[in-house]
Parts: sequence; C-alpha cells; structure tokens
Amino acid sequence: MPSALALRPAHAPACSAADPPPARPDADEWTDAAVLAGTTAIADGALKAAAAAIDGGTYPLDIMARLGAAGALGVHLDRFGARFGLAVAAMQAASRSCGATGFLMWCHDVCGLYLEQSGNPALSGAVLDDHAAGRTFGGTALSNPMKAFAGIEPILLRARRVPGGYRVSGMLPWVSHIGPGQYCGAIAGVTGAGDTISHEIMFRLDCDRAELKPCPHFSGMEGTSTWGVRLDDVFVGQDDIIADPARPFIGRIRGAFILLQCGMGLGVAEGSLDDMLAVEEALGHVNQYLDDRPETIAAELAELRARVMRLAETPYDGAPDYLIDVLDARAQVSELALRASQSALLHQGARGYLMSAAPQRRIREAHFVAIVTPAIKHLRREMARLSQEILPTGSLQGGRP
Amino acid sequence: MSLLEPTDGLGPWNQFLCRACGLIYDEGEGDPDSGLPPGTRFADIPEDWACPICGVTKSDFEPYQRRAPVAPASIPAAPQRRAGVVIVGGGISGWSVAEAIRAENATIPITLVTACDGSLYHKPELSVALGRGLSPDALRRETGVTAAARLGVRLMADTVAVGLSPERHSLRTTRGTLRYTHLVLAHGARPALPSSLDPALCWRVNDLAAWSGLHDELARGPRTVAVIGAGMVGCEMAEDLARAGHAVTLLGAATLPLPDLLPEPAARRLLAGLQGVGVRYQGDSLVRGLSRRPDGGLTITLADGTSLAAATVIAATGLAAPSRLVRSAGLAFDHGIAVDPTTLRTSGPDIFALGDCISIEGRPCRFIEPIGRQAAVIAHTILGRVHPGYAHAAPVIRLKTRSAPIALHGAPVAGSPWHVVEESEHRLAMEQRHDGAVTAWLAA
Repeated sequence: MPSALALRPAHAPACSAADPPPARPDADEWTDAAVLAGTTAIADGALKAAAAAIDGGTYPLDIMARLGAAGALGVHLDRFGARFGLAVAAMQAASRSCGATGFLMWCHDVCGLYLEQSGNPALSGAVLDDHAAGRTFGGTALSNPMKAFAGIEPILLRARRVPGGYRVSGMLPWVSHIGPGQYCGAIAGVTGAGDTISHEIMFRLDCDRAELKPCPHFSGMEGTSTWGVRLDDVFVGQDDIIADPARPFIGRIRGAFILLQCGMGLGVAEGSLDDMLAVEEALGHVNQYLDDRPETIAAELAELRARVMRLAETPYDGAPDYLIDVLDARAQVSELALRASQSALLHQGARGYLMSAAPQRRIREAHFVAIVTPAIKHLRREMARLSQEILPTGSLQGGRP
Repeated sequence: MSLLEPTDGLGPWNQFLCRACGLIYDEGEGDPDSGLPPGTRFADIPEDWACPICGVTKSDFEPYQRRAPVAPASIPAAPQRRAGVVIVGGGISGWSVAEAIRAENATIPITLVTACDGSLYHKPELSVALGRGLSPDALRRETGVTAAARLGVRLMADTVAVGLSPERHSLRTTRGTLRYTHLVLAHGARPALPSSLDPALCWRVNDLAAWSGLHDELARGPRTVAVIGAGMVGCEMAEDLARAGHAVTLLGAATLPLPDLLPEPAARRLLAGLQGVGVRYQGDSLVRGLSRRPDGGLTITLADGTSLAAATVIAATGLAAPSRLVRSAGLAFDHGIAVDPTTLRTSGPDIFALGDCISIEGRPCRFIEPIGRQAAVIAHTILGRVHPGYAHAAPVIRLKTRSAPIALHGAPVAGSPWHVVEESEHRLAMEQRHDGAVTAWLAA
C-alpha cells in the first residue's frame, strides 16, 4: 500500500492551474447551466478516461480541482444559493462516468456544509472559499458517529476538556478524501469523570496532525484516498470547532447530508443504462428476454430523480416525515443502482465482464452505494424507528399510585 | 371453541353477530359477565340483555355463519416472485380484505404488510376491557402467524410501508420492495397528539400494543389517572378505568362532555352517568403542558394556570390519518385517503383503501360497522366479480358508557338545534330536523 504522499499526483492540486478562479466566484459565473455544462464536459472527457485508473487507486485531485473550479463542489452552500438539486445533478453527471469520483464529491460537499453551517468565523471565511472552489480538499469522518448516534456501534474518538479546547484521541477506520495537507469533519465523545460521555463535539481535523494508516485493499473504488486515522492527544481549539454540542447540529444537517448522496447512485444507474443502450443494436434481439430492460430502468430513474429534486428544494426541513422521504429516496437509489448495474452486465455479457469494461466496475460501485453509511439496512432500520409511535416506558419504574 | 357440548337436542351451538360492533355471541360460551351461563341459546336471552361491548339490544344481532374454511394455500418459503395483492395494515380492515378475497379465491397471492405483529383483536373492546378484567392475551383472538397460515397469506410483520410508486405498481417497505397487481391501504389512523403533550409521558389507546403497555402499568394496583379529552374514546376510557378501580379525572375542553356530538340534556345524562361510577369531570380545561415530577408522578398544567397531578395520563385527543405515504406518491388526500364512495378506489391505479385511513367526500368515517362491507367491495373488484358497490351510510353511533348508554342515528349536524321528543327519569329522546324531516335522533 503506498503512502499518502505517493498517492498524491505530482501535478495535482489546483495551485497548478494557470489562471486560478477568484476568491469567491459570483453567482453570475456559477449559473445552473454553466455548472452543469462544465461538470458534464469534465465527466465525459478526462474523468471518463481516468475511471478505470481511479477504480484501481489513482486519487483524482486534479479532476476534483477542475470540478471545484466549475462550481460542482460549492453550489449547495448557502453562499451560492443552497442549490442542492444542482449539486446532486453535478454529482450524478460525474458518477455516470466514475462512481468513485462521485463519492469524493459527496465527501467534499458535506465537508463544505460542515464548515459553513458551523457559523464559526475561523472556518466559514477564506477556509471555506478555498474549499468550495476546490483549491483545498477535505472529507468526512462521520460514518462511525452517525452509526453511534443511531445506536448501532460505540463512538470511537474520545475528547477531554483542556484549557482553550479539547484533546482528542482514538482511531477511526475508513476515512475518505483525506491526505497530507487535507482535513475532514470529525466527531468525538467528550468524557468526564468515570469515562462517561457527557456530549459530543464536532471539529475540523487537520490531517497533518494525525497519523494516516493504510487500509486493506477494497475490491474497487481504490482511488478515494481512504485511510485509517489515528489521533493521539490532538489539541482541538475554538478555531476548529464545528459544533459543540454536536447532536443538534447533526440533527439539523442530517437530511441534507443523506440527500446529497443520491447523486452517486443516480449516476451509477444512469451509467448502467448507457451500458445497456450501447449494446442494444447488436444484442437487442437476445437482450429482450432480460428483466430490467433499459426502458424500465429509465422510467424508474426519471421518477426517482424527480423525487430527489423535489426533496432537494427543502434540504433543512426538520420534520420527521421529510426525513423519512429522504431515507426512502436514498434507499431506492441504492436498490436501483444495484439492479441497473447487474442488468447492464447481463445486457453486455462477456464484453462487460472484461476487467477493462465499465459494467463490472459499476457493479462494484453500486454495491459501494448500497453499503456506504447509511447502508440499505441502516436506512430501513432508521425508517422503522422513525415510524414507531413513542409511548411511555419509564413510568413502570417510578411514580406513586 | 365451546367447551360445553349441546344436550338440548337443538343441534350445534349457533353464533350471532352484533351488527353495530362486530361482537360474536357464541351460545356455547354465553355471556357470564351479564348473567348468561355457557349454553344459553340466543332465543332464551332476555329482551333487555345488551351487547357487552356496545350496548345494543338483542334485536341488533343477526345469525352468524362462519365461512367454510378455505384450504390454506401453501406459504412460499421464499418471497413469492409473482406479484399479487398487497395489503398494508394488520388491523380489522386489512385482515377483512384478506378474508374477503380468500372466501372467493384460494390461490391469488396475498401479502399483508403490517407495522405491528398482526394479531387479530376486536378494537372496540379496548375501551371496555380494563373494567372487564381482560388481559392482552384474552383480547387477542388469533395471532398474525396463525391467521396468515389459515388464509394462505404471506405476513410481513413489524414492517413499515415507506414509499409507493403507483405507475410501477411498487411498494417500498422496511423489509424490501414489493410488486403488486392491486394495493389495499388499510393502515388506519394514528392518535393526533397536541404538541403540548410529550408522547413519552402519556398513553394513547389506538391499538392492542399500546393498550397492553397501559394495562401493564395499571396492573400494579389502583392509581390516579387523568384522561385528556372528553370525546367518545375519552368518555368510554374514563368509565372503564373507574370500573377497574382507578381514581379517574376526565378533562374536557367544554363545560360538558362530548360537546360536538351531544345536545346539552344528553350530555348532562352522560355526565351524571360518569359521575355515578366515580369519574371526576373537570370541564372548561385546556391542557397547556405535561411534565414528570422528580418523584416520578406527572403534572398536567392547564391554561388557567392551575395544575393537576396524576400517576398515569391518557390522551384521547382524536385521530388523524397519516398522509406521508400517499401524498408523496401523488394520491389525493383530504382529511384521509380520498376514495370513490362506491368503489373505494383511490386516485391511484389499482390502489384501494378502507377503514380508518379513508375519507369519503372529505369526511373520515372511523367505525367498525362499514369495514366488512368495504372489504367485500374491494375483494370483488380485485377478483373481477360483479358487486353492487359500497353504499355509504352514517353508522349508528353508540357510546359504550354502560352508566349512560347513548345511541345516535342519522346524520347529526353540530350546532344545529335538537328538539326533545321524550324526557323522563329513565329515557331521553331528541331529534334534529331539516325542512320538516327528521335528520338525526338520539336515545339516552
């Protein structure tokens, strides 16, 4: 497994760009049409050509920088009009060529969301400007805390209060879109006396202050720069605090966080549809006997995308019904990506099974969409929990007659 | 199953169905609570006997013939691949549709999706069961698993329907996505709790699971109980709790209970009846908050600044049909899932709805009596059989307050004047008229 430095393309970060974009592009520059056209051009050109290499381990920071300059990584932020639908559409366009890059975009997008929604001036000024335009890069380390908040596993990072901030220790597996010079949003449980957790804090973690440990190889999507992160008494000061306490903050951004992921799966499904249509002329006479034919997948994709776009109009709606709608859409995105990618391979036959072919890669991408937090099983569990009626429980212990 | 074998030479024990509430009187079992020993023939029941659940008289019963059992179709071990009928809801409505389809067709695949365990029970009994000393087990007539085996239904228990795509005939659930040829929505309504009431502190009795939790809490001995809301369920629960030995306060928003339904003379009789069994009625009370005290008891804060202590609080503040599933699928919703009054079709293709979750002309109808007729119409339509259609009529409303039973007929209009027809110590009869014709009448 190469070190983090080795993974960083020599020509990569945006500083190599000849003509860097202005500090904060104005809305005129990042119009809906321009962002989508710019993203699609990158997706259909450089990204499509690099998809197999990214699947095998190349971390495409150069392409991410170009996507950032095109606006694809910033338009969901309040400062650019909170255009969540456009952000999902851009992620879909990229994922149609390369699911791993779509995932990197999501990591980057939610990291920007944390910085902006923190309201912390130290994070939402120049730091966020650079992030939103893809001049610096950062991801998200919330898989474990999200599962911890849902009662699925214990929280792994622990913080203790010290003068001026906290000191954080612990080990997180699988954190993506990080590396030397990069950062991510992370959450730690604050321990007091007796090692009990009083509450959680969310903070920006500077990766240079942590140890990045190589992860075992995944079966695909290896170019996402995914590391184990070890923190040993790392100081977190006020300038890096995203939220304290973290739970109300997570509750507020949860719908937006999950909804954005839909762009990945929609793109993988759309790419699979492309793969089916590509062989229709040659193989249609036998493919007509398959389930999930292109018109079936296309109809479901169109309906689902329209639903996601409607939900994207109100990403901070706090009602439980809205959250269930988001979870339902996110789960259906996973199911559709799985079905579409499997059908694409069946449509293409042996040519899709070649190691260089897109369908076999998309099958692995679709499975990633279905197992990355929140996985299908987590989504269903959470929808069941949110649908349950809350009834008294504690009264059995206490209370006089 | 009757334990006693008939020896009177009149043949096997017969059953009779209460047309108002669906209770089945079994001659072999009798009604010991009302003094009818097991083996009492229906013909021998005195004319003044009343249905133990809803209080109607003998003449409101009809002979009941259990349907010849249909041989259960074998239940597939794996999820069936063939799309069939999918029913959402494991209450009386959902099971009634499964029964009605199986009565006509033994093979069409049926999947029943329910958020609970699918136990069959008779819901009206929930508001009279504490006073009768019944347990959750006694209320459960059949487990969901047994009913599913009997009817050849694939039961998906503890499963929530979360999404619906009408054009693709597909229902998403928390245990996977189902294809259907016909979808029947029978998921009922849910208690509508004002935001001032913390759901973790007060009970709502709308299903057997919730009732069982309340039953467990009350089983430790007499308690002070406050019932918030003096509608039908609130009044019935208050009387039932008092009969079960608890110290009950019933909080009503108006001066008298059931203000929307009853004219003052009838409401006064109801109040007197409730007070006669020990219920303390506190009218003109608007609840502002509910909190737990350090000692574990509960405090209800009222709008006038006073407060009330209770060990157990029950909210009977009405029901509302959940709308998320149908609204997000683009189906018409108007205080309930909007259905055609004759066919019970929703605005979505091949999607039907019945029971507490529907509205007809914008009005919900949350009574037991119409459900069997609604289920029959839906079953016939799904199976392509001719049926004259559902004829909606306002059911007779019977208050299951044995201290002061009240029956309302016709279509009462709130705010419209009532005229006394008869008033004596034992009987009150009143009616509403419109253009000279009687449109509603009541007997208390």
